[in-house]
Amino acid sequence: MAKSETITSPMSTRSLRHSVGRERLQLFLHNPMGMFGFILVLLFFVAAIFAPVLATHDPLALDIPNRLSVPTLEHWAGTDQLGRDTYSRVLYGGRVALQVAAIGVSISLIVGLGLGMLAGYGPRWLDNILLLLFDSIRSFPTIVLALAAVALLGPSLHLVLAIVIVTSIPSYARLARTSTMALKNTDFVLAEKSLGAGTVRTLVRHIMPNVIGPLLILAAMDVPVVVTIEAGLSFLGLGVQPPMASWGTVLNEGYLIVRLTPWPIVAGGIPLVLTTLGFTFLGEALRDIFDPRLRKGR
Amino acid sequence: MEFQTPRGRLHVLRDINIDVPKGKILGVVGESGSGKSTVIWAINRLLASNGSINSGMAKFDGQDLLALNDRQMLSVRGEQISMVFQDPMTSQIPVLTYDRQMSDIQYRRKELSTREKREKAIRIMHKVGIPDPEDRILQYPHHFSGGMRQRAGIAMALLMDPLLLIADEPTTALDVTLEAQIIHLIQELRAEFDATIMVVSHNLGLIAELCDHVVVMYAGEVVEYGSVSDLFYRPAHPYTQALMDCDPARTHTKTGYLPVIPGDVPDLHSLPTGCIFASRCRHAVENCRTTAPKNVQVSDSEHAVRCHLLDPEFEGIRLTAKSSAPDNSAAEIVRSRPSHGKEKLLKVADLCVRFQTNSWIRSAIQNRPRFVDAVIDASLSLHSGETLGLVGESGSGKTTLGRAILGLVQAKSGSVVFDGQELRGLSRKGFAQLRRDMAMMFQDPVGSLSPRQTVRSLITEPFQIHRIDADLNEEAARLCEMVRLPQDFLARYPHELSGGQARRVGVARALALNPRVIIADEPTAGLDVSVQGEILNLMNELQATHGLSYLIISHNLPVIRHVSDRLAIMYLGRLVEYGSSDEIFSQPAHPYTEALVNGVPQPDPNRRRSLVSIEGEVPSLASRPTGCEFHTRCKYATNPCREARPSMTSIHVNEKERKVACHYPLVGRRSD
Amino acid sequence: MLLYIIRRLALSGAIVFLAVLVLFLMLHSIPGDPASIALGPRATLEVQAAYRAKMHLDEPLYYQFAIFVGSVFQGDLGSDVFSNRSVALTLSEQLPHTISLAIAAIGWSALLGIPLGCLSAIRPNSLLDRVTGIFAVGTIAVPSFLVSIWAILIFSIALGWFPVLGAGDEDDIIDRLYHLVLPAFAVGLGWVGYLARMVRATMLEVMNENYIRSARAFGLSPQTVVFRYALNVAILPTITLIGVGFGGLLSGTVFAEIIFSRPGVGKIIYDMVLARNFPVVQGAVLVTIAMYVFVTLIADLLVAWFDPRVRETL
Repeated sequence: MAKSETITSPMSTRSLRHSVGRERLQLFLHNPMGMFGFILVLLFFVAAIFAPVLATHDPLALDIPNRLSVPTLEHWAGTDQLGRDTYSRVLYGGRVALQVAAIGVSISLIVGLGLGMLAGYGPRWLDNILLLLFDSIRSFPTIVLALAAVALLGPSLHLVLAIVIVTSIPSYARLARTSTMALKNTDFVLAEKSLGAGTVRTLVRHIMPNVIGPLLILAAMDVPVVVTIEAGLSFLGLGVQPPMASWGTVLNEGYLIVRLTPWPIVAGGIPLVLTTLGFTFLGEALRDIFDPRLRKGR
Repeated sequence: MEFQTPRGRLHVLRDINIDVPKGKILGVVGESGSGKSTVIWAINRLLASNGSINSGMAKFDGQDLLALNDRQMLSVRGEQISMVFQDPMTSQIPVLTYDRQMSDIQYRRKELSTREKREKAIRIMHKVGIPDPEDRILQYPHHFSGGMRQRAGIAMALLMDPLLLIADEPTTALDVTLEAQIIHLIQELRAEFDATIMVVSHNLGLIAELCDHVVVMYAGEVVEYGSVSDLFYRPAHPYTQALMDCDPARTHTKTGYLPVIPGDVPDLHSLPTGCIFASRCRHAVENCRTTAPKNVQVSDSEHAVRCHLLDPEFEGIRLTAKSSAPDNSAAEIVRSRPSHGKEKLLKVADLCVRFQTNSWIRSAIQNRPRFVDAVIDASLSLHSGETLGLVGESGSGKTTLGRAILGLVQAKSGSVVFDGQELRGLSRKGFAQLRRDMAMMFQDPVGSLSPRQTVRSLITEPFQIHRIDADLNEEAARLCEMVRLPQDFLARYPHELSGGQARRVGVARALALNPRVIIADEPTAGLDVSVQGEILNLMNELQATHGLSYLIISHNLPVIRHVSDRLAIMYLGRLVEYGSSDEIFSQPAHPYTEALVNGVPQPDPNRRRSLVSIEGEVPSLASRPTGCEFHTRCKYATNPCREARPSMTSIHVNEKERKVACHYPLVGRRSD
Repeated sequence: MLLYIIRRLALSGAIVFLAVLVLFLMLHSIPGDPASIALGPRATLEVQAAYRAKMHLDEPLYYQFAIFVGSVFQGDLGSDVFSNRSVALTLSEQLPHTISLAIAAIGWSALLGIPLGCLSAIRPNSLLDRVTGIFAVGTIAVPSFLVSIWAILIFSIALGWFPVLGAGDEDDIIDRLYHLVLPAFAVGLGWVGYLARMVRATMLEVMNENYIRSARAFGLSPQTVVFRYALNVAILPTITLIGVGFGGLLSGTVFAEIIFSRPGVGKIIYDMVLARNFPVVQGAVLVTIAMYVFVTLIADLLVAWFDPRVRETL
C-alpha cells in the first residue's frame, strides 16, 4: 500500500508571515488618508501631553491690556476678553479632551464588550432584556440626557464623562453582540464544543479575540464623537466650568464675543476639526486594512 | 490575461485557443486555479477591475468581442451570448419578481408589449420544467427551491434566443438527483433549440454526459483538446491521464487507496520556464522543465495536446495516448485492513432530533409548524475498526445525526450507546471523558479552526481542555508527523493554510487524544478531485495503524463507495437503507438508493443515461408526505405506499443481511 | 407582517416605558429631597410644599410612578412649576418648530447626500468619488454646533446674508423660511457626508454581489443595473441608517435651537433646566424620546415592507 504524500509548501511560514505583514504595512503607507490621519492623531497626543512645554502662557493668566487682540507674535492665536492667551488655552483644552477620550472610550469599550458578549452568547431572555436596555439608552439623544442630568446634579466634568460613557456603551455592546452571535454559530465554535471546551474558555480564547478587532476600530472612530460631546456640553456650560480651559469653554466664551473678535472661535474650533479628521481617517484606514471583506477584488 | 494583485501580476491565462463549434456542446474541464471561469468572464468582458486582457482575440459570429466598445458589448450580452451561473441562491436578485426580471431582460424588444413579454417568459419557464408558470412567474426568488431556481436561471438565459449559452458549473451547487434532472434538461434544450453550449466544470461526469468536445485546462493554459471520446478513452496529456485516474467514479474496484496528483498548482505570480505541469508530472524529463511545449496533433483527429512527450519532433521518451477505459469490472474488495471486530463500538437506537422553528405565537397565528423533525428514529451501529458511510442529500439530516451522536445537538429521544455507556442524559462532566474517545472533523476545513489560534495551539488544545499533563511541544510534533504536516506549519494561522492543509490540521486535532471513533463531516468537500485522495488515504492509513472507526458523512457517492464498509442512506431524516456498502451499490434495494446510485453522472461517454432516475425535488421538512415519505418521487409507488409508512425490515440479499424501509424492495427476500 | 408590526410596536412601547422609568428614577435616586432638587434652592417653602403635594411625593415610589404613567396616557405631562401652565400645551407649541427644522435638515441633506453616494459608488476612485469622499469626511469632521457658530460668523456677521436669531415672524412664511436656512444648513451638513458615505459603502457592497453580475451578463443596461437592481437592494440598509442616525440629528437640532435662539423643544429644555422648572424638562425629554422611537419604528417598518423576504416571513 502506497503511503500518502507529504505536502510541499510553496513558502515557509516565516516568509509567508513576513509578506503578509509587509503587505499590510505597504497598504497602510500607501494610503494617503490613513497616513494623514495618523499624523494628526500623533499631533493630538503630542500637543496634549506636552502642553505645559508647548504653551507660551499660563492658560489662566490674565493680560487685560492685551485683551481681544488678533494673533500677534506674543499671542499666537490672539486673546479673549480677559486677555488670556487663546493658543495656550487650546493646548490645555486638548488635555481635557484626551482625558475624556482615554477614560471614556476605555471604560465604554470594556463594559460594552462584556455586556455584548453576554447578550450574544447567553440565553435568549437575557439577550432580550439587554437589547431593551441598550435601545432605551440609545433613545435618549445625548444632549437631552445631559441636560436632564445637569438639571438634577449640576454641571461638572465628571458628569460629562459619566454621560459619555453611558451613551457610548450601547454602540460597543451592539457591535460585540452582533459579532458574538455571528461567531456563536460558526463551525469552529462547534468544533471547540466537540472537543469539550467549556463556555468560559470558548468565550475568552476563541470568541473574544475575534470580536475585539472591530471594537477597537469603533473605538478609534468613537474618539472624535466623545471629544465632540465634551466640547458641545462644555460649550453649553454643562460640563467643564470656567475658568478651566477646554475646547468647549473656549468656544463658549468666544461665541459671546464673536462680534468683537472672531479668533477664539476659529482657534477653538480648528483643533476639534483636526482631531475628528485624524481619528476618522485613521479608523477608516485600519478598517480597510484589517477587514478582509473589503479587499475582495471582484 | 493578467490580474493585478498586491503581490504583483497574476498571469492567469496564457495563450488560450479554444474553438467552440456551432451547434455542439463544448466542455471546459479544470480544477481550481485552472482559469476556466476566468476565460468565460474574459469573453464576456465582465472581469473584475483589476484584470486586464493583454492580447488575443475572441471571435464570435464574425466579430472580435475583445475589440468591441462597451455599448456594442452590451448588445451582445444577453442577446447573443447568455450565461447560466453556478449558485442559483445568490445569482438572482431577491427583491424583484421573476416577471420583472424577465421583462427587464427583454428590454431591447421594444416592439413587444408587456403582456407579450410575460407570455414569452411563461413559455420558456414551461419549457424548462417549472410547473404552473403563469402563477409562479409573479413570485420572488426565495419562493423557489434550489433546483427550481436553477431552472429559472436557465429560463432567463434562454429568453433572448442566444446563439451561445455558457454554463458556469451549472450543477455544482445542486444535489445529485437534481443534477441529473438539469443534465437531462440541458440535453433536451440542446436538441430543441439547436443551441451552441459551453459548459465549464470540474465534474468529469457532467462533462462526459453532456459534451461533444472537451478542453482541458491547467493553471491557465489549455493542455488538451479533443472529442469527448478521445479524451475519456485516449487521454494524451499526463495531466488528463492523471485526472482520469483520480476520479473515484471511474473505477469500480474498491482499492482503499485513491490516486492523487502530488504537489500544488504553481504560483501564477512567477511562472516557471518550461511546461507548466512539469513539476507534478510523473513522466517529466529535463527538457520539459526548460522549454515550453507547443500544441501537437495526436493521430489524425482534432485531438490536440500541449506536451513534449507526444511531439514527434521531440527527442527523448515518447508517450502515446494511453488507452484508459473506465474499469467496469465487478467490485472486488482489495484492501489490507485488519478485519474489524464484531463488537459494536457505537450503537444508536431510534434517535430523534427536533428543532423549533417558530414560537408558539407565530405558529398559532400564521398556521406555521412549530417544529421540524430533522432526524426520526435513526438506528445504526458502528463496529470497531470499520468505516460506516452516512449518505444523503440536503435535508436528509445526516449532519444533524452526526452532531447529535456527539451531543453537539440536543436529541429529543432515543439512545446512543458508546462502549456500553449510554450517552444521552449524561452530565457535561460525564461527557467530557467521552470527548476524548469520540472526535469530529468538520466540513469547512478553515472555518472550523479558530481564526486567531496558531496551528500548534489548535492541535494541543484538547490536552489543555482535558487538563492532561503532557509535553505539548512533543505532542504537537508527533501529531504533525502523523498527518504529514511540515513542522513549519505549527506557527501558522488558519487563514494562512490551504484547504487541504487545514483539513490535515483538523485530522491532527481529532487524533490528539487517541480517539476510537472519528465522525468526519464531508471530508472531501471543496477539494479538487486530484487532491481529495490525500486526505482519504491518510485517513485510511491511520485507521490501519490505530484501529480507528469512522463514521463518514457525505453526499459524494463515488468517494463513499471507495472508503466505506457499510452504508446508511438517509432521506428526509429517516434511514431508508442500511447494509454492506458494496452490496448496496451493486444492488440497491430501496428505490431512492437506486435513484442516487444511478443519478451520479458517469465519466464515461458511452454510458450516458437517457432516462432521468428521479423526478421532483425533496419535499420540505415542514410538510412531509403521508405514508412512505418517498412515494411522491418514487416511480414504483403504489397505493399502499401512499398510505402506510414502511419500517426498517431485514431482508437478505446474496445471503447478506440488509435493512430497508420499503414496502416493495427491489431485490432480496425477507428474512422471516 | 401584521405580527411584526405588533411586535415592533410593543418593543417601541417598552423602550419608551423604560426610558420614562429611567428618568423617573434619576429624579428619585438622588439623595435629598426631590422637591428642592427639582426646584432649586430659590424655591420657597410654599412652592416646595405645593410641588410635593402635586407630585404625590409622600406616597410610595411605585405609586408615584403609576400616577405619572397614568397621567401621561391621558396627555397630561404635568404643569409648569411657576406658571402652572400645562406642559403638554407648552410643548405642543414648541414642537412644530423642532419638527420643521429636523425635516428641513434631513430633506436637503438626503437630496444632496444620497445621489452623491450613488454616483461615487458607480464610479469608484474617479475624481468625483475622491472629491466627494474628502468633502464627506470634512463635513462629518466638523461638529454641528461648530458649524452653527462658524456659519453665524461667516454668513450672518461677516456677510450679513442671514439673520442670526429666532424663527422669524409668525405669519410670514418667507421670513420663517429665511430664518430656517442657516440652522437647517448647520444641522444637515454633517448628514450629507454621513449619508453619502453610507450609501456609497452599501452600494459598493451590493454591486459586488452575484446577482448584479448576473444582471450585467444578461445584457441589462448599466442604468438599469444601478438604479433598479442595485439601488433597490441598497436602499434598505440606508433607511435603517437614517433611522438610527436620527438621534444624532436630534442632538444637533437641540444645539442649533440653543445657538440660534430658535423656539423648539431643545431650547425649552435648555431654558427650563436653567430655570429649574423640572416638570417641563421631564415632559420635553419624554417628547424627544418618543420622537426618536417613532422615527426608528417607521424606518424598521418601511424596511420590512420593502424587502419581500422580510415581508412574508414575518
